[in-house]
Amino acid sequence: MTDRIKSLLERTFDKEHRTFRRDVDWKPLLDRFIDEGIGDMERARIGLQEMLKAETPAFMDGERIAFLRTVKQIPDLHSDKEMDDRRAQGIAFGEKGVVFNITADFESAIRDGLGTRLDEMRARLIRCREESDAEGLEFLENAILSTEAVLGLVERYRAEAERRGFSDIAATLVKVPFKGATTFHEALQSLRILHFAMWCEGEYHCGLGRIDQYLYPYYDADIRAGRLTEESALEEMEEFFIACNRDSDLYIGVQLGDNGQSVMLGGVTPDGKDAFNDLSRLCIKACGELKLVDPKINLRVNKTTPLEIYKLGTELTAKGLGFPQYANDDVVIPALERWGYAQEDARNYTVAACWEFIVPGCAMDIDNIDAVSFVGALDAALRNAAGRTVSFDDVEREFFDEIQRRADAIVEKYRNVEILPGPFVSVISANCIENARDISKGAKYNNFGVHGTGIAVAVDSLASVRHLVFEKRLVTLLELVELLDTDFAGRPDMLAAAKDAPKMGNADPKADEIAKRLLDFWGQAFDGKKNGRSGIFRPGTGSAMYYIWHAREVKASADGRLSGQPLSANYAPSLDVPVKGPVSVVRSFTEPDLVPVCNGGPLTIEIHDSAFAMPDGVEKVAHLVKFFIERGGHQLQINTINRETLMDAQAHPERHRHLIVRVWGWSGYFIELEKTYQDQIIKRVELGVSG
Amino acid sequence: MKKGRIFEIREFTLHDGPGVRTTVFFKGCPLRCAWCHNPEGQSFEKETMTRKDGETVQCGQDWDAAVLAEDLLKNADIMRQSGGGVTFSGGEPLSQAEFLLQIIPILKSRGVHLAVETSGYADVETYRSVIAEMDFVYQDLKLLDEVEFRRWTGGDLKIVLDNISWLRKSGVPFVFRVPLIPGVNDSESSGGKFRAFAGKDMIEYLPYNNAAGVKYRMLGREYALKEVVS
Repeated sequence: MTDRIKSLLERTFDKEHRTFRRDVDWKPLLDRFIDEGIGDMERARIGLQEMLKAETPAFMDGERIAFLRTVKQIPDLHSDKEMDDRRAQGIAFGEKGVVFNITADFESAIRDGLGTRLDEMRARLIRCREESDAEGLEFLENAILSTEAVLGLVERYRAEAERRGFSDIAATLVKVPFKGATTFHEALQSLRILHFAMWCEGEYHCGLGRIDQYLYPYYDADIRAGRLTEESALEEMEEFFIACNRDSDLYIGVQLGDNGQSVMLGGVTPDGKDAFNDLSRLCIKACGELKLVDPKINLRVNKTTPLEIYKLGTELTAKGLGFPQYANDDVVIPALERWGYAQEDARNYTVAACWEFIVPGCAMDIDNIDAVSFVGALDAALRNAAGRTVSFDDVEREFFDEIQRRADAIVEKYRNVEILPGPFVSVISANCIENARDISKGAKYNNFGVHGTGIAVAVDSLASVRHLVFEKRLVTLLELVELLDTDFAGRPDMLAAAKDAPKMGNADPKADEIAKRLLDFWGQAFDGKKNGRSGIFRPGTGSAMYYIWHAREVKASADGRLSGQPLSANYAPSLDVPVKGPVSVVRSFTEPDLVPVCNGGPLTIEIHDSAFAMPDGVEKVAHLVKFFIERGGHQLQINTINRETLMDAQAHPERHRHLIVRVWGWSGYFIELEKTYQDQIIKRVELGVSG
Repeated sequence: MKKGRIFEIREFTLHDGPGVRTTVFFKGCPLRCAWCHNPEGQSFEKETMTRKDGETVQCGQDWDAAVLAEDLLKNADIMRQSGGGVTFSGGEPLSQAEFLLQIIPILKSRGVHLAVETSGYADVETYRSVIAEMDFVYQDLKLLDEVEFRRWTGGDLKIVLDNISWLRKSGVPFVFRVPLIPGVNDSESSGGKFRAFAGKDMIEYLPYNNAAGVKYRMLGREYALKEVVS
């Protein structure tokens, strides 16, 4: 890391960039929108214009890639009441209603420049006039003004840079993003501005996509021309990555860090060849040196990926960053093609904010429209079946019927989904100018993703129902439902028996076969259903925050989870289940066919960071990831358990019952240790020492 | 057929040899090392451990060699892919040599790399018959003084040293493992003695961890080293 980068990094940690910020009260603007009855498209344009006008060009000493948010708040374009009124009229929105969770077509925008887009829009405008296409006119007029607003701020940045003697920055801004970038540095500066502008327009969870692919031509040309060395390229990339950590606290998200600045590395080229390149490697290196939370690295792999690349990824994991998250091309590409994505688009996939698989540039999917609670569905099914004479198969059928009812209800609920316009993001997305339509009106793909939450708890519960009611015949179904209502009160024997039943994550076919049938069913639950935006529904294995909410909706579950206890997030073993180890977890969770349920949602495995104190720890974990991919897993995230986890385990031992700490030659459950011993281990983790 | 008494089977053990491994912990040990971190591995009898929350854990399960081998071989794919395998630990695995000699050929025939962690406290024939089948050996080196060895482990050092001299000539790859126990063998002078004893052979030191005592409480036993280390 160069001294310049070190200094930028330190000053970013010290939050120097925040000293440039100010508050702006946007209430008067919203009042004006409402009073004057200004339409959505115009509001989006005016909001962006006003936001960018309020921005002040700001530079951190030593930076070469400019643009820094100085206005804390983004204008609200609609009041809560306006949105509620629309909902009352039967219009549904995905989250806040604006364009979110997508990746723009940065590739074309950086290559062609916004000037080209303006030319195209002006030409298209004439056609709209000729065709009396009022909607097209409205979109293009506002899109042109929005683009000009972005370029206006660029010009103010250029002038200020020149005035202050930052001639490098000024020279770059003369060129990009108006013109197409011709160097790696220009491409990064252009990307920074385009990404910056999206957030200012009110979009959120704006992913960066496959930067190692669309920035590669510039990198390669510079290297070949001798304008760039590997070292200087690393420095550029590191500066860009640091910049991703400056405005991020102002980005809209459920919580800090949940800002969707995801990057996807590796994968395949449009013609299906291995796409992992020198720039992919450089990005991993930059992340490893910086150890920052943004951008969040995803890595596309497949069954031919060599161990060496998994090792590169695992070295990041070992730093405790919680990424890379791996995605398996062998599963995801066929899954997207099966859902109707063109092959070249499927091969170009990235992830949205978290883990939903999306196609950058040309899709307006809402990949987290809603969720079905499998635990809730099973609970309802058990209550339906209780008191009747039923077989286990009847119970399972009842469960699946309930899932179907809930899936059908989601289809109904989102028949009429609207998205608020984003004229600028449309300019940097494919086809919008040609169609003279905002991306919110529809893109090449307009699919909805639906999460399925509590998979492991539901599977374990169903396995427990079979074990308790139909095999051991310890209770009737009716009695079991009563036990759930009373939290197994006074029946520790039944609670123990429930916990003793087969569990997903132990490579036990008695649980895993249920998971297979559940996901097979879930994978076809939306077959033949359309979503009202001429898209389809994509079921997945993610949970997002729903796992918290859905846990509150049910009492105890048949697997022995008591009321109030959480569900596991995404696609992971139940929290209270002692598993044999990560190999069995991988085995269980790769048993189901994941292609039909590939909206996204990773298996999460936690590895204690002492594993990485051993010289071959990285290689062993890399083998585990490779094993997951080769067995047909779709998505995997490995967490290195660190001090914070251990501290949380001290405060909430019930949440960390299978947190294992490894010491020389033996392993023990962390929560079983006396506090003094726990403190000792925490200290050891702090010191990074391990046996 | 002799059954094996096992108190734990742990997947993905990272400290017990190359590649992705499963470690099998054998119940029962002829020594009584004062610092033993797996006290549930000492007695050859089945025992019950009580967790802090009152839940009990049964320690000790009897396995047929063929059944245990089948269970371990479920992971043969990733073991082979990663150059990993199975490590026998304990307790003292060599105390159940008859069972070991049943399971070893099954695992070997399926290409699984085998390692053992042993105190070396076994009669000569037993030691040789098992070690000769191993791909790698973790040979404990606890104390080098006969009196001290007897004081802290209750055993006869000569048995171990005889086995070690055979091991050194056997050609089986091995490493000496020295658990550093405060007040027992962690002084500088003993450190130098271990190094000198090992000579050109590989040696690794395992730092002592205070957490070692916790399992004694779960077994309702006193941890003899408590005073020494706190």
